[in-house]
Order: sequence, then structure tokens, then C-alpha cells
Amino acid sequence: MMSPAALTRRAAPVLACIGLLAVWQVASLALKNDSFPTAIEAIRAIPDILGDKESLINILASLRRMALGFGVAVLVSIPLGLLMGRSRGVAAFFNPLLMVIYPVPKAALMPIIMLWLGVGDITKTLVIFLGVSLPVIYHSFEGAKAVEEKMLWSGAAMGLSPTHRLVRIVLPAALPEILTGCRTGLVLALITMITSEMIARQAGAGNILFNALDMGQYDTVFAMIIVVGAMGICLDAIFERVRARLVRWSEPQFDMPLSFS
Amino acid sequence: MTAVPARSSEWVRPVTSKDPASKIIEIDRVSQVFQTSTRRDHVALSDISLTIEERAFVSILGPSGCGKSTLLYIVGGFVSPTSGAAKMKGQAITGPGPDRGPVFQEFALFPWKTVLGNVMYGPRQQGVRATEAEAQSRALIEMVGLKGFENFYPKELSGGMKQRVALARTLAYHPEVLLMDEPFGALDAHTRTRLQNDLLNIWERDRKTVLFVTHSVDEAVFLSDKVVMMSKSPGRIREVIDIDLPRPRRRNELLLDPRYQKYVVDIERMFDESDESGAAL
Repeated sequence: MMSPAALTRRAAPVLACIGLLAVWQVASLALKNDSFPTAIEAIRAIPDILGDKESLINILASLRRMALGFGVAVLVSIPLGLLMGRSRGVAAFFNPLLMVIYPVPKAALMPIIMLWLGVGDITKTLVIFLGVSLPVIYHSFEGAKAVEEKMLWSGAAMGLSPTHRLVRIVLPAALPEILTGCRTGLVLALITMITSEMIARQAGAGNILFNALDMGQYDTVFAMIIVVGAMGICLDAIFERVRARLVRWSEPQFDMPLSFS
Repeated sequence: MTAVPARSSEWVRPVTSKDPASKIIEIDRVSQVFQTSTRRDHVALSDISLTIEERAFVSILGPSGCGKSTLLYIVGGFVSPTSGAAKMKGQAITGPGPDRGPVFQEFALFPWKTVLGNVMYGPRQQGVRATEAEAQSRALIEMVGLKGFENFYPKELSGGMKQRVALARTLAYHPEVLLMDEPFGALDAHTRTRLQNDLLNIWERDRKTVLFVTHSVDEAVFLSDKVVMMSKSPGRIREVIDIDLPRPRRRNELLLDPRYQKYVVDIERMFDESDESGAAL
């Protein structure tokens, strides 16, 4: 039997979704605009998309690019961020570069990258990679910088080499911060995935969306928006589960020291 | 190890040995200058020479900012002195090593490891087999009074408990010298007293060499064989005082002992004098 508080907590997200759909439905009925279908119409169009083999292939191709871009970005950015956090020289070299790249919308680089690498998978994956890298680098950097010097000294006294200290002390100590960056990166991966497909119209979930828009199939457009939103929620939920497991030791529910000297 | 006599007064250990072979740490004309953003460089340590005998409990006592922690970090190999050298068993200290185990005021535990994981970390790093390291670590955890907390994370522990874990973690890799950097400085008075008692009990069993930094006169006299008094700006050794009090020491006996009281009063007076002479400059 769940307590009323726990029940409310569980039900809240569902209620929020239903509330949003209800507002949409009412707004759509009130506005009577052709390009703004009702929530029910949009939801009805979802099975058509998910039932269509070609659409599914497109969506899966998008997810594959996203996973690849995200994965490579994380593998490159975490070591770089950690190195920057522990070495002033490395930080002094990369910080200005990142400062320049950070505010540039990664999608704005698309046309140039397309000129170099074509409109294929590599370009889109590269844009996703760029989008994910910066928050992951930044958070890894901050996390590594905040690692207590004395913790590293303790490791050094035990005989850990500098490389071992980076992998076995800085990495785990900075993990909560790194994972915060990865979570932001995951959302950005989804956003850049769609935008990249909007610019390089060839395949993918973004392509379905914008093709439907061109053809005036507004129910499909909104259905795709729901699908993309749902994908985001699912990915975030999965990530959050993994994250919570990895950094259980730093969670606030543990923040109640026992009263015993 | 010889058996501890039932009555402490029967047994007065010689404070320092005259045998030169028993020197474990030699600090030779060490100075440390920190560059600051302001005009003048800050001289943290000026021309410090000090010899620590094996198995002695030596406290470095001084006001905050006298460079006493810096001196400890130099012995630990965490900081290189601007000039001069520190030696461990005749070998120049060039970096940290498992022969010198630090215990910091900030505990510096690995928060992602449980109590057991923290204590096992050093032995595992030294290549001790997991089962053996675990058995040794469990025994140490029991010794520092934390039996039953093996699977707790540092975040779940109070400050005193964390420092117990930190002590066990350092003892676990058998350093020859314990370097304690104001280890009880962040604890409340009651916890501090309990940890002092327990540290003394643990230390009196196997008598590792201890270099103990503190700014508390009581603490230094209670624990030490020798108190090194420092003055600040620049950090210099002001006086080295042998604490000739019987061991094993018990707080309740010691507090009533006029010799203990005299040490405390004398050292406090010396501090006041140095404060006044400092003010006159």
C-alpha cells in the first residue's frame, strides 16, 4: 500500500501530461486553425507513423546517429574535461577555444560541415557530437577542478601514480558533476539530432516531421512532436536510473549523519 | 612489544634515544616562500631544522599561519621546499610514499567508497590480496570503534566517525610515520577528547612515529613525547620541549598531575610572550 504522498508523487507527471493535452485540445478547438490540430487528432496519427516501416527505419537511423554522436562525445569529453580540471596548462589551452565554440549554435555550423563532409551520416553525427561535447567537457572540468587536493594526496601516499589518480580518484569524485553534464548532453543530442535532419533533409525523424510540414499534414507534424518528446522523456528516465545507481553514494537521502562520534 | 605494566607510574619511557640510528626524519634548513599577488612574498617557513626520532610522538604546535602544516606537507612530499631538504631514513624526500601516511583535518575520504572500501584501498593498491586486505581492514575498523559501519558511505557518518575511518585507512597500509594535520581540528570538544584518548590507546600499542600538527596546547602536551613550538611570520622553531610524562597516559590521571599542568601553563606563557614581542615590533 502506497502512502498518499508517494501516490501523489507518482501520479503528478501523468496528471501534468493529461493537463497539457487537455489545454492543447481546448486551445485547438477554440482557435479553429487548420495548422493546429487537436490533441486527439495528433495522437490518432501516431500509430500511422509507428506502424509505417519506413518511418520506423528513419527514426531508428536517427537514434543510431544520436547514440553514436553522444557516445563518442562522452568518451572524448570526459577525459578532456578531467585533464583540463587538473592541469592549468591544458585548461589555459582549451578554455579560450571552448569559449569561442560554446555560444555558436551547433546547427549553424551544419551548412559548412555539409560542404566538407556531405549531407550523410557523418555530418549529422558530427553535429550531434559537437552539441553534446561542450556541456560534458564543461561539467567534467568543473567536477575535476573541485576535487579536494587532500583526497589526491591521500591517494598519492598510497602509491597511486598521476594517471591512476586521474582515473581512480578524480573520475569517481567528479562523477556526479560529469553525469549532470551528460544529462544536459543527452537532451542536446536529441535537439541537434532533429535540427541536423531539418537542415540536411534526407532521412530521420526530423525529416518525417518537416516533410509532413511541407505537405500540410499537420496531424503528422504534431504526432512527430509527441513522438520526439516521448523519446526525450524515455531517454532521460533511463539515464536518470543509471545515474542514480552510479552516484548513490552522493545522493541527498544519505545526507543525514549519524549522531555518534 | 613488551607488556604494558598495570600502573602507569611504574613505567617511564625514555623520551628520546641518543642512538643516532634511530633518527627517522631529518629536516635540514628548510625554507618555504610562497609567491603572493601582493608586493611581498610570504615566508611560510624560515630555516627549519628538526630531527624526529623513531617511534616518537612529536607535536608541532603553533598559531595559525606559522607554516606548521606546510612543514608536515614537506615531510609528506606533497610540497617541495623552496630551499633545504627533508630526509626519511637518510633518503631525500622527493614525493609522497606509503612509508608516510597522512591524516588530514578534512578527512579526505573517498566518498564513493564505503568505510570498508576506504580502508581496503591502500592495501589493495599495495597488492595485498582482496580476502587478506578485507580481513585486515575489518580488524582495523573494529579497532577504531566502527564495527558495524563497514558498509556505510562517508556521507552517512559524523565528523568524528569520518576521522576514525581516515585513521584506519592510513594505518591499513602500514606507514612508518603518521603525519597528522590538525586531525581533530574540525571536531567538537567532546568528540575531540574521545578521539585523542582513542588515538593514544591505539598508538601506545605499536608506537609508530607520529608527527602531529595542532594549535591546541592541551592536545600537544597530552599526546606527545616532544612538542615543537613554532612562531609565525616567518615560521620558525621557537622551542623544542620534551614532555616527560609517564605512559600509558590516562586523561583523568594526567589532568590532575602537576607536571602536566606545569607543561601546559609554561607553554601557554611562552605563547603569550611571543604574542607580546610580536605586537611590540
